[in-house]
Amino acid sequence: MSSITLNRVTKRFDQFTALENLSLDILEGEFVALLGPSGCGKTTTMNMIAGLDEPSEGGIYFDGESLSGIPLQDRNIGFVFQNYAIFTHLSVYKNLAYGLEVRRLPKSEIERRVRAMADRMDLGKDLDRPATSLSVNELQKLAIGRSAVVEPRVFLLDEPLSSLDAGFRAYMRAELKVLQQEFGQTMIYVTHDQIEAMSLADKIAVIDKGRLMQYGSPLAVYDDPANRFVANFVGSPRINLVDGELRDEAGRRSLVLNGGGMIPLSGGVDADFARGAAVHGGSIGIRPQDIYFGDRRADDDIRLTGTVESLERVGPRRLAYIRMQEARFLAVDDRDELSVREEVAFHLVANKCMAFNLKTGERLRANS
Amino acid sequence: MTDIISTRVADVSGDEAMDGKAPLRRGYWSAVARDGRRLGKWFVAPTVILLLFIVVFPLAMQLYLSFTWWTPLDGVRWYRAFESFNAGDNYARLAVDSALWSAIWRTLVIMVFAVPAQFLLGLGLAYLFVDQFPGRKFFYSVLLTPMMIVPAVVGLMFFLVFQGTGPFNHTFGLPASFTWLTDVHRAMLSVIIADTWQWTPLMFLILLSGMLAVPPDQLLAARLLGGSSWQNFRKIILPRMKPVIAIALVLRSVECFKIFDLNFVMTKGGPGVETETVSLYLYKKTFADLDWAYVGAIGLVILFVLSAIAASGLAFASKKAKG
Repeated sequence: MSSITLNRVTKRFDQFTALENLSLDILEGEFVALLGPSGCGKTTTMNMIAGLDEPSEGGIYFDGESLSGIPLQDRNIGFVFQNYAIFTHLSVYKNLAYGLEVRRLPKSEIERRVRAMADRMDLGKDLDRPATSLSVNELQKLAIGRSAVVEPRVFLLDEPLSSLDAGFRAYMRAELKVLQQEFGQTMIYVTHDQIEAMSLADKIAVIDKGRLMQYGSPLAVYDDPANRFVANFVGSPRINLVDGELRDEAGRRSLVLNGGGMIPLSGGVDADFARGAAVHGGSIGIRPQDIYFGDRRADDDIRLTGTVESLERVGPRRLAYIRMQEARFLAVDDRDELSVREEVAFHLVANKCMAFNLKTGERLRANS
Repeated sequence: MTDIISTRVADVSGDEAMDGKAPLRRGYWSAVARDGRRLGKWFVAPTVILLLFIVVFPLAMQLYLSFTWWTPLDGVRWYRAFESFNAGDNYARLAVDSALWSAIWRTLVIMVFAVPAQFLLGLGLAYLFVDQFPGRKFFYSVLLTPMMIVPAVVGLMFFLVFQGTGPFNHTFGLPASFTWLTDVHRAMLSVIIADTWQWTPLMFLILLSGMLAVPPDQLLAARLLGGSSWQNFRKIILPRMKPVIAIALVLRSVECFKIFDLNFVMTKGGPGVETETVSLYLYKKTFADLDWAYVGAIGLVILFVLSAIAASGLAFASKKAKG
């Protein structure tokens, strides 16, 4: 087990900068998800930690010790591939034993450790079977077991669930969580699926276009996104983001929406925007569950009216798409009382509204 | 295979019938066109007929003649060779023909040295060519060139190279009296070197394709598990290449057994009979002695033995490929 530090890591491929000035501190035993859209640089990050690539600038450290110049076979990294990369010509036993055999451990020691790992992974009775005869479920466990048996300093998992279908993915997600707790290993998990990141990780590093957008606990990333990108990327159903021009008329601030209509600002969000007084373009983010219908619950909450465009049932609740001129809001209709094409009044919880600088995407906060 | 053809054919005729404009043709050929199996038979017919003439008929003729004393000097047509039927005496002769057996022995010597040399060189070269490097394509083409040259020309090249006053001796500062092609031991070595030069590229080509078929992510996984290049080569690459290796070795061994052009041009089988291989021996028997019936018998026995070797090698390869 090791802690990992990335210090101002930059990676360039010819003209293209895949990663810029990325700094991350991963503590011993932590489970960190690298989350971002495809092409954001998360796999590049992983490859550099594994040693498949060297950073163009900056350094990577295990327990404070620089990895630069250490070839990948000497880094002692457990790497679980997207397609598992099981040795298809070998038996389950030989797959598990590979890392130990190349370390020239005594046969009895190998046998003991392989059997222990196989039992832990529920592969105990499959040891003599060819690896190709395993199910996807078992292959996944074999891939993890093969890496775990050599007691690596850190585990890297490259989208290990992405080739599974939805139902099985949920099952394997739970399974992975159990394994991680059991191993107590430092793990880095690359994914573009925010649900996986949210449910598995201790910390999430959101990356976009080679830059670290935010690094924090799943809850922090969800509740308190550092910028518009993170707010938009994390959360399901997706956050509402409305963009417009900030206007200040006699001390009453409002956001004039780009497609017409305006949102009067009050409460927390007003204070947030007030701090970025020089900002002209603004963006309000509000999660669907922070929009409600019916009577106003707090004096600050922002009252708007719109037309119900469509309704979508998700389990016990319904999601309502509400149009206000060109702007569209997604809200949770938990009382089941809306109907399509109805004119409704709805409220945004002012203290839950997030204020962003439209140009830079940066979060505006009153108290920071 | 036939199923695919038949469904496709059925689709086509179905479409025609559907659109209503084209009248449904009747008659032998349209019936064939709709029946995949019959259509398939027509497709393979030309090949079958060709094979009948160039393989089956000569083989049958050879088998027939090998049981007679017939030679073209007899003045009787070959189909009347039964007049000198000898009930397998040629096969009995063959068993005690010491000239034949020593020719077989020399051919085996070439095989035993040349094929492993080609294999090891080809394997090493293939390993070099798995990774990208500048000029890879250029060196790849250069490496394949020897294989493209007509064997007789290769023989001529090495005939010149190994002259006493030739470039080889010159390069290594050896005296003109240090002969190759007329020396009892070095003549054989020259032939083996020439054969290796010419056929290492084929080994390289086959082995490289096998090596490139090893999934790169499995190799990467092996490296990440801490395996050194040699360990991963031995435990991941080589075992996965077994079928390809078997095919390459069988192919080259069988080919090597038929070696003719090289030593015919380089040494004419000499000095004495030091480099006389089975093919050269058969050539002499055919054209110097005109003993066609006997040559037929030898040819059939060798064909039988080589086929058995090739079949068992390929059976091994396909078993490995499945397992």
